[in-house]
Amino acid sequence: MYAILPHLINGITLGLLFALIALGFTLIVGVMEVINLAHGSLFALGAYFAMTIISGGAFGSTELGQWWLNFPISTRYVAAAVIGPALAGLVGMLIEICLRPTYGKASLYGLLLTFGAAVVLEESIRIFWGAGEQSLRTPAAISGAILIGGMIFSIYKVYAAAFAIAAIVGVWLFLEKTPYGAIIKAGAHDSEMVRALGYDLSKLRLFVFGFGAALAGLAGIAMAPIWGLRPHVGLDVVIPAFLIIVIGGVGSFWGAILASLLVGLSIGLTGAFLPAWSMVSMYLLLILIVGFRARGLFGRKSALEN
Amino acid sequence: MPGRNIREVKVQNSKINRRKFLSTVAAGGACTFMGPWSHNRVYAQSTAKPIVIGTTTDASGQYANSGSSERRGILMAIAEVNARGGVLGRRVTSVHVDTETTPATGSRVAERMIQQEKCGFLLGGVHSGVANAISQVAQKYGVVYFNTNSSSPTEAGQNCHRVKFVWDGNGTNFAKAAIKNSINAFGGKFVLLTNDYVWGHDTARTTKKQIAEFGGQVLEEILIPQGTRDFTAALIKIQQLKPSIVAAAIGGDDQKAMRQQVAQLGMSRSPVWINNQQDWPDVYGLPAENLFGIFGTNWYHELTLPGVKEFVNKYKAMYSNEVIKVPGNVFYNGYMAARELFAAIERAGSTNNIAIIKALEGHAMKAADRMQHFDAYIDANTHHVQQTIYLATANARPKDKDDLFSILAQAAPKDVIDTDAPQACKLESYAATPTFDA
Repeated sequence: MYAILPHLINGITLGLLFALIALGFTLIVGVMEVINLAHGSLFALGAYFAMTIISGGAFGSTELGQWWLNFPISTRYVAAAVIGPALAGLVGMLIEICLRPTYGKASLYGLLLTFGAAVVLEESIRIFWGAGEQSLRTPAAISGAILIGGMIFSIYKVYAAAFAIAAIVGVWLFLEKTPYGAIIKAGAHDSEMVRALGYDLSKLRLFVFGFGAALAGLAGIAMAPIWGLRPHVGLDVVIPAFLIIVIGGVGSFWGAILASLLVGLSIGLTGAFLPAWSMVSMYLLLILIVGFRARGLFGRKSALEN
Repeated sequence: MPGRNIREVKVQNSKINRRKFLSTVAAGGACTFMGPWSHNRVYAQSTAKPIVIGTTTDASGQYANSGSSERRGILMAIAEVNARGGVLGRRVTSVHVDTETTPATGSRVAERMIQQEKCGFLLGGVHSGVANAISQVAQKYGVVYFNTNSSSPTEAGQNCHRVKFVWDGNGTNFAKAAIKNSINAFGGKFVLLTNDYVWGHDTARTTKKQIAEFGGQVLEEILIPQGTRDFTAALIKIQQLKPSIVAAAIGGDDQKAMRQQVAQLGMSRSPVWINNQQDWPDVYGLPAENLFGIFGTNWYHELTLPGVKEFVNKYKAMYSNEVIKVPGNVFYNGYMAARELFAAIERAGSTNNIAIIKALEGHAMKAADRMQHFDAYIDANTHHVQQTIYLATANARPKDKDDLFSILAQAAPKDVIDTDAPQACKLESYAATPTFDA
C-alpha cells in the first residue's frame, strides 16, 4: 500500500489536470455541439501569451519593459494568469465568428473549420515565438519539491492540482449559481427556446466559445511548466480532451471530471506498474466504458434509445 | 441518366477497351525505354541538369526542431557548393517534403522523391524508424541515402544497406564513452529509462551490455511510451529504487517534458543522470536548471579547434533570424553529410550511384576538416561514420547564453567503436543494388 500510495496521489493529480484541460472543450461541445479541434492551439496560445507577459516580451528592453520587469515574478505571473486566458478567449471569439456560417449545417463543416483554425494558430505561434522550446517561468514559492512520508512530490504539481480544483469549482458555481450559467445550460438543452425567450443566441455562442477558449488558455498556463512549451504542444491536449468527454458523456460537466480522474489514475497506475501500457491505457479505458455504455458515464440518453 | 449507366456497364464488362489498350501500350513502351531498375537508369550526365537532393527531414512531430536544424545544415552545404560552381559543373538543387517523424510518411516521401521529383540522393533522418523506412525505399531504387542524425545502433547494424550511410554517433558509441567512467565515479546501480521504440531499445541494449561488462547492475528498466508527457510515475519509482545512476534514452519532446519534471522534483543532481545523446535543438532554450547530467554529443560550437569560429559565423550570417543562434550537432551532421556527398561525387568523377558509394566506403576524413579532435572514417563494412565522441555536462560558467555545454572529455573513434555492428550488418552486394546516374 505504501508503494502504491504516491502513484494513487499522482494519478488523481494528473486527473485534475486533465479535467482542467477538458473543461473548456466539454463546455463548447455541450452548448454548441462543435468539436473544437483548435482547443489544443488555444491551450498553447494561452501559455505563450502568459510567457510573453511574464518575460516582458518585445517590451523587455524598452523603458516600459524595464518598468514591468521591476515587478516581482509573482505579480507578473498573476497578471499573466488573467490576461493570457483573456487573450486566448478573444481569439476563441474570432473563431466563433468564423464558425457562424456553419451553424445548422453538417457537423463536419465546424470540425474542418476548427481544424483549419488549429493549423493557422500553430503556424502563427511558430512565426511569432519561433519553433524552439520555451519555458514559462513560475514564482519560486511554487517551485521545487517536498518530501511527504519519504515520498517526493513536485510543489508545482500540487499547486497546479489546487489550481485545477479552483477552476472546476469556479466554473461549476458560474454555471449553477448565476443567471448567465442558467442561460448557457438552457442553450445547451434547447437553443431555439432560449432564442424564443428573447435572449440573443449569437451573443450566447460568442460568449461560450470565448469562455471555453479562455479555459483552454488557463489550462495551458497551468500545464506549460510541466509539459514544456513548443508550438505543437496543443497536439498533446486534443486527444485526451476528446477521450475524456466521450468517456464522461458528451456535455456532462461531472462526467468530464470523473472521466478525467479515471484517465489520470489509469495513466498514473500503469505508468508505475506497466509503464509500456501507460499511454494506451486511456484508450483501453475508453473501449471498456463505451463498450458497456455507449453514451459514456453521464451522457444523456439518445432519443433512439427511448 | 440511364443511358450513361448502360454504357459504363458495357465498358466495364468488355475484356479490353481503348483506354486499357492505350495504357498497356504506354506502360510497355515506358518499360522498354527505362528498363527494369536493375539495369542502368541512364540520364545524360553531360547536360546542365541539376543534381537534385531530396531532404527527407521532419518538419512536424516529435523531431520537428531537429529536422529543421539538419535541413538548414544541408542547405548551407548546398549554398556553398553552388557558390563554388556546383558539383562536376552541375548546379545542386533540393526538394523538401515533411517526413512528419512518422515511418509510414518516411516511406511515402522517399517513394515520391525518387519517382516523381527524380531526386538522385536523399539526405535527412532523426527518428530511427523513419530513417529505416526511407533507407528501405532508397535501397530498392539504388538511391544513395544519408541518415544524418538518427543514432540507433541498428541503423548501421541489422538495418544497414548498401546505399545508406550513417553520420551521427550511435547509442553504442555514446554508451561506451559514458558508462565505464560513470561507474567508476558514481557507483554501479542503474535504472534505465527507455523510450519505447527502436532507438530507445537499441540504446538500452547497448547500455545494459556496457553496464554488465564494467561490473554495474541494472535495478530496473522503465519503458516510456513515445508521446509521454507526465513522468511522475517513473520518477517516483526511481526515487523508491534509489539508483546511483539513471541512464535515460529518451528523445525529442518526451525528453523536454522529462527534463522539466526532473528539475521540478529536484532530482537533477541525485541520482546522476546519463543521457545518451543530447541533440542541440532539444536543449536550446531550456532553463539552465533543466540541463543536467552527463550526455554525449559529436560536436559543439565552442570547441577550440581551427575552423569552428568561421563555421559558426557562416551559420549566423545565413540564419540570423533563426531562434537557434548557433549551430549544434544536428546542424553540423546535416552540413557535414551534404558536404561529404558532394566531395564523393567529385572524387568519383561521376554521379553514378555505385561509383559514389565506392568513393564513400572507407573514406578517411581529417580531424581538421571536420572540426573534431580525431580523424574520422566511413566504415566500409557498416557505412557508419566513426568519429570523435564528446562527453558533456551543463556549463556552470557560460560565457554567453548559448554556451550551454561544458565538454568533459573526448573519445577517439577506436575507443568507442560499435564492435557488434559488423556482425549484424549485411550490406547488399553491388550487383544487387540498382545502378543509375543521378
